Parts: sequence; C-alpha cells; structure tokens
Amino acid sequence: MRIRELKSREIWVVVLLVYLITCLIPLGAPFEMSDITVEIYEFIDELPEGSIVVIGGSAVFAFDLESSASLIACIKQMHRNNLRIVCAPYGVEAVQFEKYCVDAARVDKKYGGNWEYGIDYVQLPYMAGGAAAYVAFLDDVHTAIATDVAGTPLDEIPLMRDLQNYEDIAAWICPHWAFDMIVRYVIAEKDIPGIYFAQSAAYGSYVPYMMAYPGKCWMTNGFLGGAQYERLEGVPGLGHAVVDSYALMSIVYVGFVVLGNITMYTAREEEEDEIQ
Amino acid sequence: MISTDPWIWLSALMTICSFSLLYGDNPLFRFAEHTYTAIVVGHSVVTGIATLESRFLPLFTGAKPLLIVPLILGLMSLFIVWRRYAWVASIPISIMIGVGTALSMRALIATEILSNISAVIRESALILVGPPVTSLGYLIRVVFTLSGVFYLLFTVGHRGPISKPLSYLREFGKYVFLCYLGLSVGNATMQLSGLATSCISRLINQWLGL
Amino acid sequence: MSKTLTYYRTYLVRALIVICMLVTLASWYLVSPQIDAVANELQIWNMNIATFTLFVGLVTILSRYVNGVKNRSENWPFMLYATVLIFVWIIFGTITGIYADVYQVAFLSTKITLHIAILGQLIFYMTSAAYKLFRIRTFRTALYATCTIALVLLNSPLILGPFPIADKISFWLLNNPSMAGSRALMLTGGIGGAVLGIRILLGLEKGALRATEEL
Repeated sequence: MRIRELKSREIWVVVLLVYLITCLIPLGAPFEMSDITVEIYEFIDELPEGSIVVIGGSAVFAFDLESSASLIACIKQMHRNNLRIVCAPYGVEAVQFEKYCVDAARVDKKYGGNWEYGIDYVQLPYMAGGAAAYVAFLDDVHTAIATDVAGTPLDEIPLMRDLQNYEDIAAWICPHWAFDMIVRYVIAEKDIPGIYFAQSAAYGSYVPYMMAYPGKCWMTNGFLGGAQYERLEGVPGLGHAVVDSYALMSIVYVGFVVLGNITMYTAREEEEDEIQ
Repeated sequence: MISTDPWIWLSALMTICSFSLLYGDNPLFRFAEHTYTAIVVGHSVVTGIATLESRFLPLFTGAKPLLIVPLILGLMSLFIVWRRYAWVASIPISIMIGVGTALSMRALIATEILSNISAVIRESALILVGPPVTSLGYLIRVVFTLSGVFYLLFTVGHRGPISKPLSYLREFGKYVFLCYLGLSVGNATMQLSGLATSCISRLINQWLGL
Repeated sequence: MSKTLTYYRTYLVRALIVICMLVTLASWYLVSPQIDAVANELQIWNMNIATFTLFVGLVTILSRYVNGVKNRSENWPFMLYATVLIFVWIIFGTITGIYADVYQVAFLSTKITLHIAILGQLIFYMTSAAYKLFRIRTFRTALYATCTIALVLLNSPLILGPFPIADKISFWLLNNPSMAGSRALMLTGGIGGAVLGIRILLGLEKGALRATEEL
C-alpha cells in the first residue's frame, strides 16, 4: 500500500498544533540534572560575597534568548549571594539583552530586590572593535571606557571604582554566541574562570574549549541547561516551558522522519511490483 | 482575558505578520520585513550615537586630546560607501586589520592550536585509565580528532603503496564530520523549538490571556 | 587619480597594517612599557574607529530605499514606510536613551519579536525538510539521520522520564564524537587563521582593502 507524500503545509499544521497544545496544557515534562550545571551552580555559590562577575559577549538577542533561561536564574543566585555584576556588551543588541535579563530577574529595588544600580550592578555601553575591545577592557577598564551606558563617568560609579582591570574580575559569564573571544582573551590569557550558557546550536562548536581548559571553562546546553539551572534556583521560567513543548515536538519530528522513510519504501515496493 | 497593553498587541501583530510567511509571500510579511530592517538600522544608529558620546567624552572634556586622531579616522571610514573616494576609508581599515589580525594570531595559536593539541595528548594518556565507557570516550576523541584533521589538511591525491590506506583514513574523517554535523543539528532543534515556543506562548498566554 | 598617488596610497596602507601588527605582537611577546603604551593606544583607536561602522548600514539602506522609491521599484511603498520608520526610530531612541524602559519595551515588542518569530519558523521548515531529506538510501544518510534523530530523542523529556540514562548518553555523544569533529575543525581553522595572519603581514592578502585600493 503506497502512502501519499505529505505536503509541507500539512506538516506545518501538525507542528503548530503541537505548540498550541503545549502552550494551553502544560505537561510538566520531567528532565534530569546534569553534573556540569550543578558544578556551575556550586562555583557561583562559592564565590566570596562582593565578588565582581562580568556578564559579557557579543551576539544577537534572538539567538541569546536561549541563554536567558540560565542567566536570569543565575542573576537571582548572585543577588542572593550578594555578588556584584558588570554587564559588558560587545554586540549592538547585547545592551538590550543584558538589561532584559537583569529586569526579568527582578533584583533591582524598584522590583522588590536588594540591588541598586551603580552599587550592585552596572551596565556599560556597547564596545566596538572585537578582539581589541576585549583586550583593552581587560588591561585597563577605565581607559577602555569612559562612562556607563547612561553617560555617567565611571569614576562616579561606586562599583566601577572597584573594577580597574582583569585582576578584579572573579568570573566571566557569557550568555552570547561568541564564546571563542571569551576563551581566547579572558580564560586563556587572563586565567579568569569562564561560564558559557550555551545555545544548543553553539554547544557542539564550543565544547572543545571545555575539554581544553578543564576547571576553568564550563558550559550548559541550551534550554535544557536553562531548565536545570532554573530548578536549582527554584525559579521555573522559559526553560521549563520549552522543555514541555520540546517533549512533544521531538516525538513529532522523529515521527515525520520515520513516516518519510516508510513513504519512500512503500513507493519503492510498488514501483518494483509494477516493473515485475 | 485578552491583553489591553498596546505593546503586547504590537508584539502579537509582528508575530502574526512574520508567521504569515508559512502561508506564502504576502504584504503582511513584507510589512514585517521592512519594519525589521528599519529598526535594525535605526537601533544601530542610536547605539552608535550613544557609544560615540561615551567614547569621545575624554576628548570633549580635554582629558585626552589625542582622541582627535581616531575621530578623524572614524569619519574617514565612512567614505567606504562612496565609490569614488572609497580609498579614503582604507587607512582606518588598515589600522583595524593590523591590530585585529595580530590579536587574533596570538590567540589562535594559543587557544585553537596548542590547547587542543595538549588536550589530545592528555586524553591519549587516559585511554587505558578509568571505566570502559570513559576510556572509549577518550579513544573516540583522539581517533576522531586525528582522522578529522587528516581529512581537512591532507586532501591532495596520493600515489604509491600508501595511497589506499590513506584514502580509507580520509574517508573515515569524512564520516567523523558527518557524525558531528548530525549530532549538532539534532541538538540545535531544541533551540529552534524553544524560540517557536517563546513566540507562540506570547500570543496564546500574554496576548489572548488563555 | 595619478599612478604615483595610487602607488603611495597602496603602500601606505600596507605599511600601516604591518606596523600595527608588529606593535601589537611585540607588546605581547616582548617586555617594553613603551611598546605596551603604543599598543594600548592602538586598541583604543581600533574601538573608536569601529564605532563609526554602525552608521554605514544607514547610508547603504537609505541609498537603496530612496532609489527604490524614486524609481517606483517593486515594494516601493514598503521602502518609503521603512525610510520614515528609520528616522522616527532614531529620533525616538536619541530622545529616550538606549537604556530607557520605554525604548527597551519598544525594541522588544518590534525587532526582537520579529527576529524570534523568524527564527522560530525554522522549526517548521526543519521538520518538513527532515521528512523529505532524511530518506535512508545510503550509509551516509543513515549515519547522518541516525545521529540527528538520536540526539533529538535523547534530549526529549518523554525519553528522559522512563530512561534517565538518556541524559548521560546525549552528553557522552556531544562531548566525545561530536566534540572530536568540532576540535578537528578548530585545529585546522586555527592553522588557517595563523597562516592568513602571516600572509597579511607579508602583504600577500588584499581582502577587504581590494575594494578601496583598485580605482
């Protein structure tokens, strides 16, 4: 019996239905905890109070959304542990992304948290120049940048008085795609521990760095890593929602591949029968 | 209950316009496409203005008058869009190429080449150490890395008695990359699925309030 | 332009590249406060010059759209709309500031929503493409399809529930065979990058400067 070839739009309707169902009816799909996510969580927990953590990198907001699941949970963790963060954007949309994550974490006093801008967290302006920007920032922050994103001179910002160069940085978190720059200039040259909340499409490309710099470089894997970090911090968010929809979507995806092969084999059998 | 926030309505309109491409090319998608392009360009300019104010503040306050040089060079770089005088932009671009290339070279050698080679050597020593699954993992890492490098670096044809075994090694390297690409694509479906979840859930939960 | 001027212009550019490269490399491999100071200054200049590239897109897009509207080319009403929107956005962003909440909400509701929707559509195309292309006829397609499907399933929570070990298997696959392929690419890419740097130093590569050199 020959199975008809499905048209693309028929497949898209099924995919759309999957997402509509999971948006309307949360499945609460289970997932396992990875050792590496726990290792990152414990590393952040062990940082001394008042340590400065830089969140920086360069990429596109839409790609980085996948990292936001982990980053928002991590910011909440750092807020709980009284750490301090400096957001250092090296991409045009990185300013907006880092602001989005800090606002979503609800750590500022205007949202009921304890953090105050300038004392507990600072947003720096976009730094163009690629590698030169990273190197200049790490060597001398106050020479590389003059003001924060709002135009306030760095000398007038209490947090930035404690950040002069790479020696004052306890860890670097990269929620953006271009992790290779962080590895080259932050982890390898300056020996600063680096954490990458990797997008799942980027994980395969950058995982060799985790093997090349064991104990200094860690990576989570996409939305799954985000859901794991959210569970560790106790703040279900985008990661949990995605895991739900992915539970059904993955089965549908594999189902269509199997169906396509069955379609091909039934068509081939029929052609062979016709020839005979 | 359906949202009354105008920003959420705007966001929903943009999502629907973008998804309309699945039905076919249509004016709604063209509207979304041109909105996207305009805002990307506009945002770049807004960011540029804000960044320039920050970067050249020491020049305007007199703290660092030498910054007049990069200001002039930066203005020269804009000549790239003017075909007749595009050569003017080659001077600031050459400075960027020189500095960027040198920084990349020193980093590539250390991180991309030496650290990976030392990782391969370290893992070779661990092949016979530890539980079987871990040993197998280290063996796969070493063998796959070497055959992949062999495939990429030695693609010229060989003659003589060793050409056949070398061709098998190159063929194996090809399959190593097939494996890598297949696993990467499989992992990447999670990202795209998540992005679709994000925009559809915004429509259903935030806009329609369901 | 006279040949003499073209000659000087071309070699000035190459000299600048070599000088900047040598100063930057010397500041890393040698110990000299003077070279360090020059290299740091060059890096700051690099950052400042790169900022101006943010305005190149404006000129390029505007020239295309204005010509499109003037010549009434296809989609010219949309080009006119986009041109107006560019200026409205620039004025809006300059007045409110890039870190303002209202600018953030506007940016998220428009550009980011559109970009996420465009990328989110890819899962639809990927699923229909997988249906049509993952037809197992040869060993190569079998290998590729098996690897893809294996990881899709191993990451799936519906498999992780009854078989928790699936998580460890997926990480083993990503951290061993997949990592090895990526590492091979990284090694050879690093070698290629280093060779390219040396070729630029020796003036054998014209690259992006070709467009500005030849007139």
